[in-house]
Amino acid sequence: MIAFLLRRILYTIPVLLGVAAITLLLFDVAGGDPVAMKLGKNPDPAEVEALRAALGLDASLPVQYLNFLGQVVTLNFGTSWIDDTPVREIFLRGLMPTLSLSLPAFSIGAVLSISLSLVVAFYRGSILDRAVTALAIAGISVSSLIYILVGQWLLADQWKLFPIWGYEYGPSAVFFVALPVLIWVMLSVGTDVRYFRTVVLEEIGRDYVRTARAKGLSDTRVLFGHVLRNSAIPIITRLTIIVPFLITGSFLLEIFFGIPGLGSTLFTAITSSDLPVVKAFTMLGATLYVIFNIVADLLYAWFDPRIRLS
Amino acid sequence: MSAPDISRSPRAEAWIRFKRDRIAVFFLVVFAAYALSALGAQVIELYQGSPFMYEQSLADLGVDLEETALPPSSESWMAWFGTTSAGKSVLIRVFHGTKVAFVVGLCGAGLSVVIGMTLGLIAGYANQWVDELVVYIYSTVASIPYLLLMLALAFIVRQGPIADTYRSFLFSDYVSLGLFNIVVVIGLTSWVTLCRLVRAEVKKVRELEYIHAARALGFGDVRIVFQHILPNVFHLVIINFSLTFVRAIKSEVILTFLGVGVDKEPSWGQMIADAKSELMQGIWWPLLASGLALFGLTLAVNYVGDALRDALDPRLK
Repeated sequence: MIAFLLRRILYTIPVLLGVAAITLLLFDVAGGDPVAMKLGKNPDPAEVEALRAALGLDASLPVQYLNFLGQVVTLNFGTSWIDDTPVREIFLRGLMPTLSLSLPAFSIGAVLSISLSLVVAFYRGSILDRAVTALAIAGISVSSLIYILVGQWLLADQWKLFPIWGYEYGPSAVFFVALPVLIWVMLSVGTDVRYFRTVVLEEIGRDYVRTARAKGLSDTRVLFGHVLRNSAIPIITRLTIIVPFLITGSFLLEIFFGIPGLGSTLFTAITSSDLPVVKAFTMLGATLYVIFNIVADLLYAWFDPRIRLS
Repeated sequence: MSAPDISRSPRAEAWIRFKRDRIAVFFLVVFAAYALSALGAQVIELYQGSPFMYEQSLADLGVDLEETALPPSSESWMAWFGTTSAGKSVLIRVFHGTKVAFVVGLCGAGLSVVIGMTLGLIAGYANQWVDELVVYIYSTVASIPYLLLMLALAFIVRQGPIADTYRSFLFSDYVSLGLFNIVVVIGLTSWVTLCRLVRAEVKKVRELEYIHAARALGFGDVRIVFQHILPNVFHLVIINFSLTFVRAIKSEVILTFLGVGVDKEPSWGQMIADAKSELMQGIWWPLLASGLALFGLTLAVNYVGDALRDALDPRLK
């Protein structure tokens, strides 16, 4: 077990090296001359040379790669090209707004879809089951843009239930994130219910459920005491894998609702070719993804004694 | 003589299981109708040439209606879904959008499936060294956030030294760069899941006796992989194709909305993007029409995909 984990952790090193290489090639080489991007058209040649040296672009590609790795390891990605703010500061500034949107949405969505899928799987084949399954497949077939546009127009503009746009730090953020949270939950519940229902159905068909029922246990005890515990592994694994996306945030929701989080920051950085920010975020996203995949493996092992003890 | 008088191929069996689900058959017909519309739009476009009908307003087309942003009306078939704020027919634009959706869906999913399947087959069948290399490649690609990669690629291929080389692959001026982009981006970012699944399945199948038998008969690796292994993992390819198809048309909408997608011809994404400002002026029908068209196709493919999975999964017999 420990050997397996150690191997998993060591394996992240070449993967992240690969990601760094792709990032560098994608943005600094394929993306065009960063200096031209920063200085605009027809720059002063002397200025170009100075900037080239300052950015370390006069070095050969392998040296640039090593420099970039150095940035990654020291978590020092330099400053933004747009306003010279340190990338670290940009990240910290965007983190709170993003989490204030993603954490409530994630928790509400998870509780809702887990309980729904338990009930639906338990009454498999009933009208309730069919209705929820049909709604779920219809729900995931609607484009996320439609949810956003219609939600914004109907609930915020016409019915004035929520503010249309904007964000405030502190407790009043609740008003501003309420509608995006609602839309996020609508977007995620359909997919999750479908997945969790299959997971729960697989468990409900097993012998121990019949035994528990034969013993005369109530439906709730069978569901929450036995079925939920045994379906926990795939459910938790799936929820863990989502965590990195909670931190990097939602592009669309943040842009549409004017939430100054990491998603909208990254989008602005991409559109304005603010390469230090984009590169830092790519590495961050990849690192989080890799870390939480290992966490998912760990949890998987921890919850399943057959794996834990082997 | 009690031999079973009916013997069917696994594929025929799957088709029988699929047909049992009436709703799935209905949605298959819906999908076929969309495909025909897409083909129809392409044929009309080739036959008609520029200026295309979707670019002209109803007034240009000789239909005299008073308003430019006309709500759905029965005065002309072109106004069934109303007109846009520029007076163009929503129906014709949605119809043409079907073609764009199919180009993106079929090409994007096709490219992704070909990459995923090929790498999966190679990794599952070849020696450990090759296998590890493929696993390394997909672990790395999977680690980069999908939407970030997609957006970054979409923005980057528009500028920089490779932009010209990249454009030269685009053999015609007629296809918009954005459309080509989406296909490339979907293809290069969506193959990982299928690759993983195919690799795992091939590893199981290659240990089965009939493969040993084929090898003992002296068949070459290529023949074994394509003739004996591929049919046994092909259900994964079909199911994954339907998933990626949906992902591709949804990505078209998002990328176009964000300004890096289809720009030379009307697509559902573009209509939804235009609808943002129109909606606030109370013009809701272009959004409804394009949204419904997208919804219908996505739902049909999602449902048929689910039914195919159930029908093709040998464990569910």
